[in-house]
Amino acid sequence: MAKIGVYVCHCGENIAGAVNIEEVVKYSQTLPDVVVVKNYVFMCSDPGQDLIKQDIKDGLVDRVVVAACTPRTHEPIFRDAVEAAGLNRYFLEMANIRDQDSWAHWHDKSGATEKAKRLIKSAVAKVRLAEPLYDRYGDVEKSVMVVGGGVAGMFAALDLANMGLKVYLVERQPSIGGNMIKLDKTFPTMDCSACILTPKMVEVAQHPNIELITYAEVDEVKGYVGNFDIRVRKKARYIDWDKCTGCGVCTQICPARVPNEYNFGMDQRRAAYIEFPQAVPKKAVIDAPNCLYFKSLKKTGKPACEICKKGIPPKGIQGCPADAIKFDDKDEYVTLKVGAVILATGYKVMDKTHFKEYSPHSPDVVTAMEFERILSATGPTEGELKRPSDGTKPKTIAFISCVGSRDERYHSYCSKVCCMYMFKHARILKEKYPDIKLYLFFIDVRTAGKDFEEFYVYTKQLGVKVIRGGRVSAVDVKPNGKLRVRGFDVDLCSPVELEADMVVLATAIEPPEGTEELGRLFAATCGREGFLREVHTKLYPVETAAKGVFIAGCVQGPKDIPESIAQSRAAAAAAAALVIPGKIKFEAIISEVDRDKCSSCGVCVPLCPYNAIRLEEYKGKDKAKIEPALCAGCGVCASACPSRAIVFHGYTTEQILAQIEALTEV
Amino acid sequence: MEEVTVNVIDLNQCDEDFIKQLIELGAEELKECIQCGKCASTCPMALAGLEFFIKRIIHAATLGLRDILIEDPSVWACQSCNRCVEICPMDVKPYEIIQAVRRAAVRVEACPASTYEGLRNLYRFGHAVFPKGFEERRKKAGLPEKPPTALSFDELRKKYQEVLKQTILEEIAPFPLD
Amino acid sequence: MKKIGLFLGCNIPFNRPDVEYSIRYLLNELGVEIVELEGATCCPAFGSMPSLDVVGWATASAWNLTIAEEKGVDIITGCGSCYGSLNEAKYHMDKHPEIKEQVNKILSTVGKEYKGTSKVWNVINYLYEEIGLDNLKAKIKYNLNGLKCAVQTGCHNLWPSKAYPTNEDNTFNPTRMREICEALGGVAPHYSTITDCCGMGALRSQASAKSLALFKKKLDVIKEEIDPDVCITGCNSCLMQFDAGQALLIEQKKLNYKIPALHIAQLVAIALGADVEKATALATIPLNGVITKIKGGN
Ligand SMILES: Cc1cc2nc3c(=O)[nH]c(=O)nc-3n(C[C@H](O)[C@H](O)[C@H](O)COP(=O)(O)OP(=O)(O)OC[C@H]3O[C@@H](n4cnc5c(N)ncnc54)[C@H](O)[C@@H]3O)c2cc1C
Ligand code: SF4
Ligand code: SF4
Ligand code: SF4
Ligand code: SF4
Repeated sequence: MAKIGVYVCHCGENIAGAVNIEEVVKYSQTLPDVVVVKNYVFMCSDPGQDLIKQDIKDGLVDRVVVAACTPRTHEPIFRDAVEAAGLNRYFLEMANIRDQDSWAHWHDKSGATEKAKRLIKSAVAKVRLAEPLYDRYGDVEKSVMVVGGGVAGMFAALDLANMGLKVYLVERQPSIGGNMIKLDKTFPTMDCSACILTPKMVEVAQHPNIELITYAEVDEVKGYVGNFDIRVRKKARYIDWDKCTGCGVCTQICPARVPNEYNFGMDQRRAAYIEFPQAVPKKAVIDAPNCLYFKSLKKTGKPACEICKKGIPPKGIQGCPADAIKFDDKDEYVTLKVGAVILATGYKVMDKTHFKEYSPHSPDVVTAMEFERILSATGPTEGELKRPSDGTKPKTIAFISCVGSRDERYHSYCSKVCCMYMFKHARILKEKYPDIKLYLFFIDVRTAGKDFEEFYVYTKQLGVKVIRGGRVSAVDVKPNGKLRVRGFDVDLCSPVELEADMVVLATAIEPPEGTEELGRLFAATCGREGFLREVHTKLYPVETAAKGVFIAGCVQGPKDIPESIAQSRAAAAAAAALVIPGKIKFEAIISEVDRDKCSSCGVCVPLCPYNAIRLEEYKGKDKAKIEPALCAGCGVCASACPSRAIVFHGYTTEQILAQIEALTEV
Repeated sequence: MEEVTVNVIDLNQCDEDFIKQLIELGAEELKECIQCGKCASTCPMALAGLEFFIKRIIHAATLGLRDILIEDPSVWACQSCNRCVEICPMDVKPYEIIQAVRRAAVRVEACPASTYEGLRNLYRFGHAVFPKGFEERRKKAGLPEKPPTALSFDELRKKYQEVLKQTILEEIAPFPLD
Repeated sequence: MKKIGLFLGCNIPFNRPDVEYSIRYLLNELGVEIVELEGATCCPAFGSMPSLDVVGWATASAWNLTIAEEKGVDIITGCGSCYGSLNEAKYHMDKHPEIKEQVNKILSTVGKEYKGTSKVWNVINYLYEEIGLDNLKAKIKYNLNGLKCAVQTGCHNLWPSKAYPTNEDNTFNPTRMREICEALGGVAPHYSTITDCCGMGALRSQASAKSLALFKKKLDVIKEEIDPDVCITGCNSCLMQFDAGQALLIEQKKLNYKIPALHIAQLVAIALGADVEKATALATIPLNGVITKIKGGN
């Protein structure tokens, strides 16, 4: 027979203010198997815990009910206390007579007291039937996969590698670098983006603990926290990277020209190309759909061209000097074992075509990201400011903020970095061309960040015009090719218009393509706006709903470089803390299948939100099996199993029924 | 028939030279204004309901909207109370901007008639404010008809005029400085 | 014996010479020798030279400042604009040597030089710091007898504070005038619009109706919050708004109450025994009640 101790907490006045403690104590003494009832002003304080510990040590009690606040915050404390005194830590039950009772019924003291009695009665009924449970441990693979080689992914990879962990960095594009490598200068310090990023890219590529896998994507994920088996598809490059020296010959002689994605189609690249001059790794790939060899092969069954391989002998032009061209290249699959994963797949910016009121058909209306390329020395104009339509130098430029952000039709959120990069663009231009006229149209200016407000004021001092409350309603092309911008100026309290040579749209930052699918592969969820979601915005900002899967950078939501890096290093620390000990604790409160009872119906399998249940052969039949490492202890399966074959440890059917009975008994 | 115009301000009117001129005329901190509105919530011009009050004047100035500012007489209603200077978080010295706009305006003879009247009085009598009938009033208060100011000393007044003639007044006065 | 140069300006000698009389009277009574600033001119008013350029403004002010400097005295004025214009011009010259240089180049042609040795006082600060409240208390002939005063320091007497040699501890909660009134035996409660602009000045000349409406708003608060016997101003322009301006509002039937107004110099002069006829010669709103209360007390 159990010897149950009931400990009633006053929580200062929080409980005692509504619940008659004395009455509750007296009542508790009448409950079955209850041998000790005590009360104290703060049960969670050291002296409070000591009351419990002493009674256990003295052999007075062997099951404990604490009637106090919420188990969410306090259960671990009391479990530890019980365990420290020598009991199984699961021989503890909490009755929440504060959040669910005194607070809720503050003005009904007698009702609150009655309810407290019921809640304690129910906890007593449950703890009587408690079975001892034991935490389990599993081995952890001491390696991490980072998906996405932007600035966030790179910093996470470097931190982990420097801790001595094996890191696989998987990047979709041929080169790492992400969006940051496309930027010209970066606020708030105005460093040249490529200058500060390329050394890091090289460091990543050369780090002995980092295996860089570019032009590749995650294909399949198996396993669970500590033991993921991830299959990665390395896309066919049609060039043997072991041989390719990055000399660039193929990229010059290839006759097939296509719009260059790196510069958003503002110039062209060849079908054989190196993504950009500072690419890491600096290797060429052949873009098969645009390559004449493959086009012809598809059409006529016979290959053609092969200039990259063979050159043009009549003209004395040589093909690839390294003999690296490999038309029979195939996608390659590798399976990697890792203990944790960091998803850092970044963002993309919205395309201008969505915004019909801003004359997107005009080449002189560009997105801010395109404008970064126009400003960049490695961009389509080699850094010279030119109007895309006619190559003339614009004298007046209008910048429009919040294009697609703070807009319920597209994205309700604020893209966070646009106000700042608009000022950055203005500053770059004003410092180069003091006479240029720049009008920045804002809804309001948001410059919350270290050194940001100073950046804004400094830029204003350069003579940049700031129009607030000025969400632009229309950009129209005039017969002379100029663009008429219509806005509102809240400070003038008047509609305004401006004739500009170019218009730059600060289009919204969005999750990159495939974010949801990627999330699904790893069982990480996306928020309403499509970014991968953190478990708790404040307390667990880099963890996802999937254990062992972390997030960093813009894939979690719009942010600037400093913030992306800070978050990526936080994710690296969280991942390292998980894998470095080499062992992982699995919850004792999980479900287990009694396979002899299982009828093989399989209803539980699709119900489990954590993909923890599989049908597996047992005594010649497929029976359900729950992977303890994956089970999160939600209990869905146990309540659904028609054969009552699933035991939910810590919440057995007997316990739940006893609780219901206790609560409903009149 | 009254001419009907559309209420849109054309930002291309921006006159950068005008902005430079204002800065030279004392609006040194003009571009630091972040349009926070603190000055406007206390400025007597704003409180009294003038359409162009301090914050709008500053914004129009940063946009180089010369004609609007020169044509609108609001700046001449500034009290010079300096409360705005006292409270502006960016130390823009809004009042100095009012004065700069006035200074730019007088250079193109765009000021109320009373401004010239004051200047003329200042030059002729040594007193910008020179109301009629003061002798009577002074007698009531038991004082001599004329105060011991430049008004009473022809020699000193001449000297004062010599001084004024060497200032900007020489260029601007629409009346003869004999 | 203390000496001070009396700077008259324009509005005081021409519009409210009773204030001039009062300043002269109180300085005499308090044993301060008045040094006449012969040949002094307009401060100059903000809408005149200051609206042309800084050097012209500073030159016109320096003309006045040098008269005092030559006589080796500080300056006192009862007008807020004069206090502001002279001090600001001085601040510009003392802060920017190049302005001072240009001014002195002009002044040298008439044998003058601005040095920056004379301080510019207003009546409030002079009474508060140079005379002192105890001294003042000791000299009064008529106690104010609990006269309830609403004080109006005036914008120019407070701001821009950095141009002023001395000032209130908190210019947004001025207390010096209240303390002076109380030293004389009056009551001078704080009210919530104590630092609001009275509306006199350029606003009054350019947009009279708006100026008076602004003034009315302030006066209504005074009436509602403290319902005083009299309004006491620290600035002559404020006095003109509180007195003649108020009379105008009454005439226009926009005001249905009446609060007489005095300059702080007039109030002190009366308490020191000045000839009331002269000291209040140009008041528009009758002061009978106020005078009776003061005189009745003794
Ligand atoms: C116009 C503009 C100007 C900006 N200017 C500044 C500035 O001046 N200063 C500043 O601090 N911030 C600036 N930012 C913000 C800055 O770009 C971001 O903060 C930063 O680039 C985020 O880095 P990231 O690594 O999170 O994402 P990204 O740079 O987007 O990197 C993500 C990487 O993941 C890869 N990837 C995507 N999907 C997959 C997949 N499924 N599998 C494998 N790999 C994948 C991508 O190819 C990419 O390489 C600007 C943003 C914009 C739009
Ligand atoms: S020519 Fe050959 S070695 Fe040179 S970049 Fe192309 S594939 Fe690589
Ligand atoms: S085969 Fe021809 S088209 Fe294809 S990559 Fe080589 S050179 Fe270019
Ligand atoms: S002048 Fe100063 S107080 Fe006025 S809006 Fe600008 S920053 Fe604000
Ligand atoms: S000084 Fe002029 S602009 Fe400034 S608050 Fe006073 S009235 Fe307004």
